[in-house]
Amino acid sequence: MRKLAAETVVRMGELSVSRTPGHVLAGIGLGSCIGLVFVESFEPVVGLAHIVLPHSKGISDAALGKFADRAVPALLEQMTASGAAHPNLEVVLVGGARMFSLDSDSALDIGRRNEQAAREALEHAGLPVRAAATGGNQGRTVRVYVDSGRVTVKEPGSAEAELFTSGRAGSER
Amino acid sequence: MPDSYPELQLDALRELANIGSGTAATALSSMLARPVDISVPAAHALPLAEVVDAVGTADAFVSAVVLPIIGDLEAIALLLFTTEDASTLCTLLGVDVDSEVGRSALGEIGNILGTAYIGALGMMTGLSLEPRPPQTMSDMLGAIVSSVLAIGATETDVALLLDSELTVEGAECSLSFMLAPGSEGVAEILGRLGIG
Repeated sequence: MRKLAAETVVRMGELSVSRTPGHVLAGIGLGSCIGLVFVESFEPVVGLAHIVLPHSKGISDAALGKFADRAVPALLEQMTASGAAHPNLEVVLVGGARMFSLDSDSALDIGRRNEQAAREALEHAGLPVRAAATGGNQGRTVRVYVDSGRVTVKEPGSAEAELFTSGRAGSER
Repeated sequence: MPDSYPELQLDALRELANIGSGTAATALSSMLARPVDISVPAAHALPLAEVVDAVGTADAFVSAVVLPIIGDLEAIALLLFTTEDASTLCTLLGVDVDSEVGRSALGEIGNILGTAYIGALGMMTGLSLEPRPPQTMSDMLGAIVSSVLAIGATETDVALLLDSELTVEGAECSLSFMLAPGSEGVAEILGRLGIG
């Protein structure tokens, strides 16, 4: 993971959990990829996975965040290992755009299939999705703030906008 | 399902990219009626996580032409330029970049370059390759490149990218031409060259 001052960029197939005060996790330029965000609603712990494809189909040596079906349990495990409690987890999905409208071949609509697979895996893990900025045909950047549990989305040509705030946001600063 | 590519194979792929982009540069040059230079192509074989940074700045807003290739192998040809360079290219062709004609002119550049490139590739490897219609778009570099890579990323965490820089002389305008073959596509190319 590339570190920039207080920001960790979570790149394709990576996942990261942070409870460092002032820290930010970022998924920059998500297209068909999904930024899977976990926020603890009481503790300052957040996680982000940069999902590339929907199903691992038995491939077990891939990067942990690469496939939606493996990224969900892997991020859940790292969150709980960092002190998060399962019932307090709030989930946000960002990305899954259809970047190319080149053909009717659904094989290329990876974005939609990524979102479906992530939602299935989340349902299986008993984790409801609290907010989502998915679909469409534009790229997005997602940022997750450890201190406030705030999740923001930035699209090309527009400013960073708030997508989700956890219950603990108001209690800080 | 390769986890990496030996140097000999990367050399061969670089040579393919060199000939392919040379042919593409000639095509661009006759379209613009100006000399076009090419850089020595790079063949990147990198972990998936590192490829976007190797191509450019993930949140840079860029213009792109995406050209899927089908036939004996599946690949995506990708033409990337800054929005300024897209505008310069359109000016050289006498059209406005922000118009429908401008967008289709960029698509046509992608089409001509891609067709020339894969024509050379097909000739050298004996593979039958066919370009599909191009799509022109403007978005974050990371969103475009990662979505192209995702298409071929199922089997391996190593992405292969052949990257050449074309520079239009006297116009301070350059563009990157990239070919991202799926992992099966790479094996097929290497097999045809006898170094698979």
